[in-house]
Amino acid sequence: MQLRYTAAELAFRKALRAWLAETLPTVPPAPDRDDWSGRRAYDCAWQQRLYGAGYAGVDWPAEHGGLGASPTEQLIFLEECARMRAPGVGAGFVGLLHAGPTLIAEGTERQRARHLPGILRGEEVWCQGFSEPDAGSDLASLRTSAVRDGDSYVINGRKVWTSFAQVADYCELLVRTDPQAPSHKGISWLILPMETPGVQVRPLRNAVGSDEFAELILDDVRVPAENLVGAENDGWRVAMVTFSFERGTAFIADVLESRRLLQETARIARSSPGPRGEPLWADPGLRRDVGRLTAEVCGLWSLILKNVSEASAGRVPVQGASVFKLRFTENRQRIGDLAAQVLGRAALSVSDLPGADNSHIVEDRLTTLAYTIAAGTSQIQKNILAERALGLPKEPRWTSR
Amino acid sequence: MDLTLSPDQLDLRAGLVEFLDAQWTPERLRAGASSPTPDHDSWRRLSELGLFGVTVPESAGGMGLGCAEAAILCEELGRYLVPGPLVPSLLAADRVPGVLTGDCLVALLDRRDPTAVAEHLPNATHLVVIEDSGLLLHPVEGLKSVVAQQPLDPLTPVAVLAGPLGSGERIGSAQDAARWREVGAVLTAALQTGVARGALELATQYATERVQFGRVIGSFQAIKHLLAEALVRVDLARAAVHVAALTLDDPGAGDSAETVAAAKVLADDAAAANGRTCVQVHGGMGFTWEVLAHLYLKRAWVQQSAFGSADEHALGLAERLPDAMLQAEAE
Ligand SMILES: Cc1cc2nc3c(=O)[nH]c(=O)nc-3n(C[C@H](O)[C@H](O)[C@H](O)COP(=O)(O)OP(=O)(O)OC[C@H]3O[C@@H](n4cnc5c(N)ncnc54)[C@H](O)[C@@H]3O)c2cc1C
Repeated sequence: MQLRYTAAELAFRKALRAWLAETLPTVPPAPDRDDWSGRRAYDCAWQQRLYGAGYAGVDWPAEHGGLGASPTEQLIFLEECARMRAPGVGAGFVGLLHAGPTLIAEGTERQRARHLPGILRGEEVWCQGFSEPDAGSDLASLRTSAVRDGDSYVINGRKVWTSFAQVADYCELLVRTDPQAPSHKGISWLILPMETPGVQVRPLRNAVGSDEFAELILDDVRVPAENLVGAENDGWRVAMVTFSFERGTAFIADVLESRRLLQETARIARSSPGPRGEPLWADPGLRRDVGRLTAEVCGLWSLILKNVSEASAGRVPVQGASVFKLRFTENRQRIGDLAAQVLGRAALSVSDLPGADNSHIVEDRLTTLAYTIAAGTSQIQKNILAERALGLPKEPRWTSR
Repeated sequence: MDLTLSPDQLDLRAGLVEFLDAQWTPERLRAGASSPTPDHDSWRRLSELGLFGVTVPESAGGMGLGCAEAAILCEELGRYLVPGPLVPSLLAADRVPGVLTGDCLVALLDRRDPTAVAEHLPNATHLVVIEDSGLLLHPVEGLKSVVAQQPLDPLTPVAVLAGPLGSGERIGSAQDAARWREVGAVLTAALQTGVARGALELATQYATERVQFGRVIGSFQAIKHLLAEALVRVDLARAAVHVAALTLDDPGAGDSAETVAAAKVLADDAAAANGRTCVQVHGGMGFTWEVLAHLYLKRAWVQQSAFGSADEHALGLAERLPDAMLQAEAE
């Protein structure tokens, strides 16, 4: 056990820091929340800058165009970008973190050549079409069907909660190719070009008021059979490969953001009068709550270091990922509540009020409602831990996600 | 950066676990919980293992290792509910003769605690008082104290000091006192992580055996989720403890004021909450003296009050928050 970074890692950090310091001032301001084409352009432009500087696909293997960085270097990369407030992956999320790595692990040469360069260069945006109105946590019960017809699959069904569907070029789609087989034995993983006739995207408004995700209606959509990733009816296993990329490092920037929010909460509480005129910060109950959440954020960072260390030792931190997600998402929601408590009645508006720092805090508080739901709900994470880490008996008929 | 245990650390831990498995059986704990006489024999054996000298330099008869190793061992000691003044012994081994060999037992009192209750004072040979200005050693002989007839944790006797202490022998500077507070908090947090883990293991075991409604209770989600939450608390506390111990071993690698406080907050929470969970999962059996669940919870409560409560550490963290920001931005 040791906390120091190696000389090579420190050099990596230093070079990255210098590049960020030089590059970030030339990045234009971020577009409005619901300007989807603007957001796509912004996120892709940042990815192009990363590509030009050799920082695209930090964790992708070098033979597939990535940087082939170690888990620790990846940590450093995400930490520095978050610290310097560089743009995040945004619209590139599914391509860079899910679809690309899945194609590297399971795709054909042709599929890789067709898609990987575009994802790395920020020219190709992906979305994820896994969930359906009747198949969320119980993903294996999905019903969208794909029927083989000559050289094509013909797809019919509905997907929901598809983030960034409005601006995506491709969708990683889970479909049922064998309706007779047991639920998770008849699923396949397909590449769906979003331009294909019969694909309809219907934006859904979320609780923040934004239309960040959408419903996909798939009506006799014809996709070439060569778009199948992995074997037919083996899509459940491929999807599990996809999920293994989702976990792990996805939250590094968020933990630093939690810390910032706590610091901001403390700052606002110092300058805001409480009910009896003294600053809100004079209330030891408030300071204690802030301190306890700070302790958790500090512990969560230590947990990240532990998970990264496990990954460096060649182990997939499955338990660590669920442990992390459970506590991080809860902590983040409680920070949102505390910040709102400090804002007082300024927390009643999602748009800026004169003299108050409210908008991003209130928006963040609403956004984090989804954190305990998306990518496997807290209840599903607890089932995973109880069954896989503690060895308790399986739920009756539970299909796993 | 590497938070996995090294082969040497794994060996060190395995050695202690083997010993504790044989020595600190549930039967022995039950016997200890029903008898007021301390188990001197087992204490001496711990000292024979070299336990109290983990961080003492080899030239002075110790193992010459760091806080990280001490924390790894403390987690196991907590997990097996080993009784005795463990943290005081680990702290005092290099300055109070006889501690290393298990002949002298040290109790601690921190002047910052408003109530002068000292754990293990009834069995101790010495008392070390931590003052802001330094460390003071007193022989217990001649000190006036009132021993609690029925301590909360039956394996942790306590006494309240009555009357003035006298001057004592100065055995450490203000700096040493500050260091003792930090190391003491981290090692107590490590013990708490162990208590949390022991409670989780006992509860998990019971959940796979007890049958109700024709199924083992561990197949009910209400129980599964209680245990999963307990597991999260253990893992979070352990990560925080390891990072805190490493920052004490290598001050340049992190900010110990922050990591130590975080470790104590998270480990206290884990131990107490998991102790409760253990009682709850055992149902009515959990409220009996026979099942060890109450001992985990009671030990957790005892250790929560040592080396600063979670609330005190949380307030400290909150007060440092704006500075921590400046530091992070400047780095
Ligand atoms: C912001 C956001 C973005 C998303 N983006 C995408 C995306 O891009 N692509 C995509 O495919 N999906 C996406 N999702 C969908 C997400 O994966 C699902 O919402 C999630 O898996 C939960 O499924 P569900 O919404 O159907 O809830 P349900 O499964 O209906 O769950 C409802 C409640 O029941 C509980 N529950 C369900 N099963 C169990 C069980 N076995 N034991 C105990 N409790 C249970 C849940 O925990 C929850 O509290 C997104 C979701 C959100 C919120």
